[in-house]
Amino acid sequence: MAEKFDHLEEHLEKFVENIRQLGIIVSDFQPSSQAGLNQKLNFIVTGLQDIDKCRQQLHDITVPLEVFEYIDQGRNPQLYTKECLERALAKNEQVKGKIDTMKKFKSLLIQELSKVFPEDMAKYRSVRGEDHPPS
Amino acid sequence: MKVINARHRDSAGAEGTMENFTALFGAQADPPPPPTALGFGAGKPPPPPPPPPGGGPGPAPPPTAASAPSGADKSAAGCGPFYLMRELPGSTELTGSTNLITHYNLEHAYNKFCGKKVKEKLSNFLPDLPGMIDLPGSHDNSSLRSLIEKPPILGGSFNPITGTMLAGFRLHTGPLPEQCRLMHIQPPKKKNKQKHKQSRTQDPVPPETPSDSDHKKKKKKKEEDPERKRKKKEKKKKKNRHSPDHPGVGSSQASSSSSLR
Repeated sequence: MAEKFDHLEEHLEKFVENIRQLGIIVSDFQPSSQAGLNQKLNFIVTGLQDIDKCRQQLHDITVPLEVFEYIDQGRNPQLYTKECLERALAKNEQVKGKIDTMKKFKSLLIQELSKVFPEDMAKYRSVRGEDHPPS
Repeated sequence: MKVINARHRDSAGAEGTMENFTALFGAQADPPPPPTALGFGAGKPPPPPPPPPGGGPGPAPPPTAASAPSGADKSAAGCGPFYLMRELPGSTELTGSTNLITHYNLEHAYNKFCGKKVKEKLSNFLPDLPGMIDLPGSHDNSSLRSLIEKPPILGGSFNPITGTMLAGFRLHTGPLPEQCRLMHIQPPKKKNKQKHKQSRTQDPVPPETPSDSDHKKKKKKKEEDPERKRKKKEKKKKKNRHSPDHPGVGSSQASSSSSLR
């Protein structure tokens, strides 16, 4: 799995480096650098071909659209991961709180109902397969 | 629409459970509900099932205790006052009561991203990328969103540029105008870091094997140190005496003398 990404990353880095070098050549162009420019242009074409080949290996990868928003705003996409993890933990804690509260409520309700309707609750426990009332 | 429907369903469910509770509470005083009410609550007969397609036999009789509806729990059939009972979720089922971050082995990722401060800018994530990448993409129409919304027209494949095509890339000699030199602009933070590093490297580090002159310098420093300290203390005393904010001269003298001792 990681190899796929490494492969793509390698190609992207090469491509970016080629673009950077092309930018340097173009920024102060001399007639003697025409051959180098032509070579760089063809390197870019081959770089694009290599990146296009990586597409086949990564067709099953999904990226959340929100990450693109972070990148478009010039923000670190790791912040998205961070916020996702924080949100997940907060929600997890919230749900755990609800479950724990409901469990307490259930045990209290059974306790109180057992006082008022002992026979029915005994039946209920037998149906549920609970021999002893939950504490 | 879905939200409204869900609420309606919830309220209907709540009513059902309330009826269930009232029925449960009334079970002691009132006679138990008839078996036909199983699964639907007291006073609410089940709706007749739709006629079978293709004109089969007449409508089937309403479900009884013996033939409980498929939606109701199996245990509801023979459990007296308890109806609308559902099976409890299994203990093995994954719920929010377990720490899902530890369950999915994401502790390392959590500590990595939430343990320390993640730098805000994109250039911190991609430090080797040339150009000013911290600016919003909407400035120069380089946003990824626009790439999705308006995908570029793609040809079949990428072909190498041949000799005749390369003729189109013959450039004029000379430097580019300033506004076109976007590649050379780097985020300012990097420059600061480089400067900082340079200043550090520029400071000469004393060699590990110091010469005799270094020894002498050190000795001189050591000899000068107590003298400097005395001078500093005297200056402080003078300042304290002359400063208007200082509450009392006597007390300061006492404190300074005590500190000297």
